[in-house]
Amino acid sequence: MTDTAPSITREQTARVQTARVQTTRVHTALFAEVTQKLRLRAKELLESGEVVSVIGWEAGRFENQTTPAFITDANKVDRLIFNEYCANTLGKYVLSEKLDGKVAVCVRGCESRGINRMISDNQLKRSEVYLLGLPCPGMVESPEVSHASEPSHAPEASSKLLSKCAFCTHRQPVVFDEYLGTCEATDETLGGLIPKPIDPSERFSDVEELEALSLDERNAYFEKLYNNCIRCYACREVCPCCTCRECFVDQARAGWQGKQNNLEENRFYNLTRVFHIGDRCVECGECERVCPMELPLMKINRKMVKDLTTLFSVPEAGLDSETISPLNTYDVADLEEYL
Amino acid sequence: MQLSKERVDAFLAELNQAVRVYVPARGEAVSSFARYGQGTEPAFDLVNTDMPPKDMLFPQTEKMYRYGLDDEGKPFVDATFDADEVVLFGVRPCDMRSIECMDDVFLTRGFIDEYYETRRQKLTTFALACTAPAPTCFCDSMGLNAGQAPAADVLLKDVGAAWQLAAQSEKGAALLGKYKGFFDESDVQDAGAKNSDSVSCTLKVDMDGVKEKLDQMFDHPLWEDITKKCLTCGTCTYVCPTCYCFDISQSNRMKIGERYRCWDSCMFSVYSEMAGGHNPRADKLSRVRQRFMHKLCFFEDRYGKSLCVGCGRCIQKCPVALDISCLIDDIGAAELAPVALAGEKGAGDGKH
Ligand code: SF4
Ligand code: SF4
Ligand code: SF4
Ligand code: SF4
Repeated sequence: MTDTAPSITREQTARVQTARVQTTRVHTALFAEVTQKLRLRAKELLESGEVVSVIGWEAGRFENQTTPAFITDANKVDRLIFNEYCANTLGKYVLSEKLDGKVAVCVRGCESRGINRMISDNQLKRSEVYLLGLPCPGMVESPEVSHASEPSHAPEASSKLLSKCAFCTHRQPVVFDEYLGTCEATDETLGGLIPKPIDPSERFSDVEELEALSLDERNAYFEKLYNNCIRCYACREVCPCCTCRECFVDQARAGWQGKQNNLEENRFYNLTRVFHIGDRCVECGECERVCPMELPLMKINRKMVKDLTTLFSVPEAGLDSETISPLNTYDVADLEEYL
Repeated sequence: MQLSKERVDAFLAELNQAVRVYVPARGEAVSSFARYGQGTEPAFDLVNTDMPPKDMLFPQTEKMYRYGLDDEGKPFVDATFDADEVVLFGVRPCDMRSIECMDDVFLTRGFIDEYYETRRQKLTTFALACTAPAPTCFCDSMGLNAGQAPAADVLLKDVGAAWQLAAQSEKGAALLGKYKGFFDESDVQDAGAKNSDSVSCTLKVDMDGVKEKLDQMFDHPLWEDITKKCLTCGTCTYVCPTCYCFDISQSNRMKIGERYRCWDSCMFSVYSEMAGGHNPRADKLSRVRQRFMHKLCFFEDRYGKSLCVGCGRCIQKCPVALDISCLIDDIGAAELAPVALAGEKGAGDGKH
């Protein structure tokens, strides 16, 4: 590891740095309206017995913070809220919640693609979930909780768009049973207030920066990154592609993964995970958001996406539940460079 | 005695010649205690560091001994262990209290952990009294005073242009004596002096009766509610200054093997899995419950103090905002079943 290795901060990504937004009246009205509709529909769905549980968000400890909510009692639907602090992507929770019956879950772009992912991976049946589509203008960091130890954790931090939202290509749900937004709440109308979904031309700009580095610099970059991993496995737990009943990490008797925290083991964990999800990643960015060490995990994921889309014209993952993931197919016409 | 802020660097540089000095520092991604010098910019303005200082005493991976066959094919075991003299400069009162908790675990009750003991004996602590707690800090609800750190060797208080130094142990006094050239005897406080005598956290919880209630809440439905959202990742346990669970394992390469211990987490299902495959905490609920019971109830039973020091790190880092301060509120508000199951803790949930 050298001191001259490229920085592993996420902040260095220009798009995230400049993505400061102001929540405006339009948003406040949108959020209030969606919250009202959500509560109403949750109540109806629970009362009619169509679903046993509604997964959404509720207020957290702090004013500008939310936490996932699991509502099973129709009298408690007023706990549900939708605002710009709904950082958690909820899709994966259906896997445990559906054990009790059909589940309703709020879906934005990221959740809906994760749901498609799990359906195509045979983890979920479409009939097991009821999807409440929500319009998403992008989410921002909680000012009280993000970097709370910084003496200057000023309220303006509240305007910082989550990095996963800065790179999101599909804010609106790609699949739903009903849509709770209004026709005005489209990317076009919201786009002027919160940075628009990323433009295809700049989508991979930071991956290109990485590709432009020398081999040594790139190696130094990834060594630094993996040296900082504490192997909490939050990235795995939250990922809608990581649905193995028993992860290779936990197969203690096979002993694939040693328990030491060092560069070799950390790199082995991270790269194996990248390979396992490489052709299926729906780019929800949750792995990067949850990482307590704030590692830029999406760089390499987006590199995989970039190669798949540019070399093989593979569509983005999770846009539907029928497309077979590229590593599950074989075509003699595949480019040889890949092997 | 005072250390002028202008002379801090000179003092630390001198000290760093003799011992390894660690200071709070912002890293590229997160903050932690880093070796002074080598370009490290101390960040004494941080409330507390993202990563706790526990790895100073309890490294995430610690080599215990080596074994194998030597060049002549004879078996050997090499169990020599030593640690460097370390000064932890700028540690906060909550983290100082966490060291007291780890001392209880590793040094009392009839078993002394030699690895921990060696590092502990060679550690000198300079605690920095807090003046402006973060929104997530709640140490004063957990029986601490943010302006005091009784277990520290030296306590530092911000008096404006200088830090007021008070030795609180022989070790601390000896060290201050040795470097007295850097200090002056004045006692002045200038306009920039920060109040550290009556600091109050904005986040408050009521711990009154929480432990006694938990004694009767092993089978309470409250655990089901919080379990749903928990990912059972290791984040909260790894960022917590007091979580001390570990695993011992080995790696063998050719003729040499190494036994090591490393952090483990009660949130991981493999943590409690036994050799024969039985797992007393196979389900998520029992693991989530264990973490909070250990913090707020079992440790209190065994050592007479809470294992949560109110540093707020898990609140900041939990990816799903499962907030221990909210849980404490919920425990306070929980209704107990009329016939409480007091004393009947489930099999396998040993208090350790
Ligand atoms: S979330 Fe971050 S620290 Fe945790 S295992 Fe993943 S990369 Fe490592
Ligand atoms: S790898 Fe990360 S971005 Fe991709 S699907 Fe999993 S959590 Fe989402
Ligand atoms: S409480 Fe939060 S940090 Fe801890 S295991 Fe659960 S999800 Fe992870
Ligand atoms: S449980 Fe949370 S608040 Fe308490 S000491 Fe651990 S990290 Fe800090």
